[in-house]
Amino acid sequence: MTSTSLLAPSGSRLLRSGFLLPAALVVIVAVLVVAPLARILLTTLTPEGMAAWKAVLASRLSANLWWWPLLDTMVLGFAVAGGCLLIGGFLAWLVVLTDVPGRRILGLMGSLPYMIPSFAAALAWGTLFRNSRLGGSAGFFETNGLAIPDWLAWGIVPTAIVLVAHYYSLAYTIIAAALGSVGADLVEAGQMAGAKRPRIFFGIVLPVVTPALVAAASLTFAGAVANFAAPALLGLPVRMQTLSTRLFGMIETGQNERGFVLALLLIVVSALFLFLSDRLVSGRRAFITVTGKGGRTKRFPLGAWRWPLFALAVLIGLLTTVLPVLVLAASSLAPQSGALFSNWTLHFWIGEGGGEIAQGQAGIFRNPVLIDALWTTIRLGLVVAFTTMVLGLALAYTIVQRKGTLLATVLSQLAFLPLLVPSIAFAAAYIALYGAPIGPLPSLYGTFALLVIAASAHNLPFAVQSGRSVLGQISADIEESARLTGASLVRRLFAIVFPLAIRGLFAGAILVFVKMVRDLSLVVLLFTATSPVLSMVAYRYAAEGFMQFANAITLVILVVCLAASFLAHSLQNRVQKWKES
Amino acid sequence: MLKRLSMTVLAACLALPAGALAEDLDGLTPEQLLPIAKKEGSVTVFSLSSRIAKIEKAFEDAYPGVDLIGLDMSSTKQIARVEAEQQAGVHAVDVLYIADTPVVFSKLVKENRVVNYVPPRIAGELEDRYKTPLLTQRLSTKVLMYNEKAFPDGAPITNLWQLTEPEWQGRVLMVDPSQRGELLDLLTEISLHSDEMAAAYKALYGKDIVVEDGLEGAGDQFIKALFENDLILLPNSDVLNKSIGDVNAKNPPVGFGTYSDRRDNEKEGWALQVANDVVPANGILFPAILTIADKAPHPAAARLLIDFMFGDDSPTGGPGFEPFNVPGDYAVRKSIADAADSVKLADLKAWTIDPAKTAAARGRVADLIITLQ
Repeated sequence: MTSTSLLAPSGSRLLRSGFLLPAALVVIVAVLVVAPLARILLTTLTPEGMAAWKAVLASRLSANLWWWPLLDTMVLGFAVAGGCLLIGGFLAWLVVLTDVPGRRILGLMGSLPYMIPSFAAALAWGTLFRNSRLGGSAGFFETNGLAIPDWLAWGIVPTAIVLVAHYYSLAYTIIAAALGSVGADLVEAGQMAGAKRPRIFFGIVLPVVTPALVAAASLTFAGAVANFAAPALLGLPVRMQTLSTRLFGMIETGQNERGFVLALLLIVVSALFLFLSDRLVSGRRAFITVTGKGGRTKRFPLGAWRWPLFALAVLIGLLTTVLPVLVLAASSLAPQSGALFSNWTLHFWIGEGGGEIAQGQAGIFRNPVLIDALWTTIRLGLVVAFTTMVLGLALAYTIVQRKGTLLATVLSQLAFLPLLVPSIAFAAAYIALYGAPIGPLPSLYGTFALLVIAASAHNLPFAVQSGRSVLGQISADIEESARLTGASLVRRLFAIVFPLAIRGLFAGAILVFVKMVRDLSLVVLLFTATSPVLSMVAYRYAAEGFMQFANAITLVILVVCLAASFLAHSLQNRVQKWKES
Repeated sequence: MLKRLSMTVLAACLALPAGALAEDLDGLTPEQLLPIAKKEGSVTVFSLSSRIAKIEKAFEDAYPGVDLIGLDMSSTKQIARVEAEQQAGVHAVDVLYIADTPVVFSKLVKENRVVNYVPPRIAGELEDRYKTPLLTQRLSTKVLMYNEKAFPDGAPITNLWQLTEPEWQGRVLMVDPSQRGELLDLLTEISLHSDEMAAAYKALYGKDIVVEDGLEGAGDQFIKALFENDLILLPNSDVLNKSIGDVNAKNPPVGFGTYSDRRDNEKEGWALQVANDVVPANGILFPAILTIADKAPHPAAARLLIDFMFGDDSPTGGPGFEPFNVPGDYAVRKSIADAADSVKLADLKAWTIDPAKTAAARGRVADLIITLQ
């Protein structure tokens, strides 16, 4: 009797927390990620698909279709990941761990570029560096008599620079969240032991945030590899093709199978690199920094370097944030896209319709659809950010808890892949898979639910990566003490893990929110409601050649993203009151 | 359970006559379609042009009681969505307003995912090639454009082969044909007209063209020569227009673009003009089509909408066609007049693509381009 009563609870607990969560996650990941991927793989196993494999890998086309684009893509991926770690890491260190002046404003500037679409940065580059290769009006430097060589105006160098300028804020967001958990006690311990500052940095700070560095590197790598706008705008004029431009072109010209083959190969190559980086981290000891006690943040005095470093950070911010925003703002005010800084008018924002400008179109704030679209967009962004984070937290938790096991490896690999699947293929697979009723389950076609599910799956990598980087630092003993006192998994998650990991979680949620609010392709295929989202309104204007309206909407999107990030920031400070000492 | 079953039976009973009805609907006039369409209540259309918003208003004014739901989507996305939906057994869209016809023909038509419908009201007015296999509503262009301010005496090009000469090295632009279907269609059309390309070569140089091994004809040879003469590829037509058309440009390039973009000349500070006197042709005319999705949920309203989008009998086409009546695009209805200050359709020296033929040759040309990059 006594033995059974002793066994029963532990048995059911084993079932509940030890087995049920991972099993449920495996099922969810299978449904959300594996099934669509498998479907894409299947379409490449038809006769046309096999021909596509052959064309890509073993034909006279392979060099230009696969190998050169692969080389360009990988060079871009590594250059961008490296650049992002350097700049994002530097800014995160400066803002979180030093006494640099104007930390708030620097932090804001550091998180902005990702909210600005990458084409804005590419346009900004063109405004400055465009040379005479394409004809038309030259950029700022050539107009002022400074000849710009082709390699600096077009191709892989400017593409890499523009992508670093766009994605470093992703690295900044994740690394800053992790640095926030490097407690004062650790650093003070080092100081008391007589360690010099470089020693503290390389011996304590850097190892502790390694998981965040790896997470940031993987996400920026994937972002660079999947980005289309920058390599298309800056690469095509010198015939540089990356896998993403190739892939887009294949699908756009009706050669879907070849596109899918390229996507699958890209996934394999990226997964390989991810696997290696995973090994790199799991091969070393994990450092626990989030102990739940005394988590003040220690700030290094910069001394004489305070202002020079501040100036450097401001310069980075000006170039990557202010400049693209300025170009966007100017292009929403200038009637002619060729002359961005003349004849400014507010017509595209608030003008009444019916006049000579813009074929009688009224300004965006007079468009009755705008307010509707604004709310739909915000609702969609919030819901998807929430579901993605819940799922991502559960996944990251399981991966961290079971670090080194096969389950963790497989889950972490699978959760990373969706970022590399082209949205159009992903969305089509979702409609085909879940558009029809499955057994007792109703058809999800055209429902908000399907969009949310697909979007959560597509954005999973952000949640999992940012969740992992923070969860990896949370001490197991707090959770174990809670478990000993009989707290359930849900209770432990909400009372302990969630508040401690909130910085990382919000960082991830913001990234998902931003991606969702900006990204069009998934929405346009899965959304059937007539009230559009903002990105669809922008597309509508752009398709008619009204770039000014489209850019004005892009700025509205930017403001929405900024507001969301402010909200998240103030929320996390409320939860983690102990941070401000 | 019983209730669900009876609902299914009921739905099946309703669906059967509706299927039989679809055949008969083809012969009805708009007046006869209207009451049935009102019962259906709404019609959903995927549109390549966002001007569908204007059609929505005009259509609902003309036929109150039939709600038009318009979703703007690129042709590629429409095809992906219709394929995926029908594979899942979902039939939610009624009308497709779509271009990219070679892909539409090789995917949607071949797999019977769309059905052709020609409104009887205008059938007599259209040439046969615009009625089958799918109904063409209007024609757009990808033709050679130049800067009329920099070349006030007319186009600097009168023979396509000039584009392969040193004078035009690095000064011919086009949106990357491996990224955009219409430009791939243009090169495919050049490849299909090899005889004319050979004749144009002889007219310019006075000797017969020698075609390299591995190339299929003078058309392919031209494509290769064009790429080797540093043809500059661009991501979109915005960049193209700015580069060719800038009114302040000293020695601007030429390129293959959209004739109707000329209407933005004043607004954007461009001087775009079509180079029309070019042998053997200056580019292509390609169709935008209107078609009904297979098992469309609102078959009568769908037909009513297609009829409506061909406009009325006035020279502008009235509210049903006006949004699409821009200079440089061409209506296929003879009663709708071409814009006054643009080249008449009959005088435009462009090849009109035959989507079926283009579809057959497109893959080969796409491969050729990839090897030339």
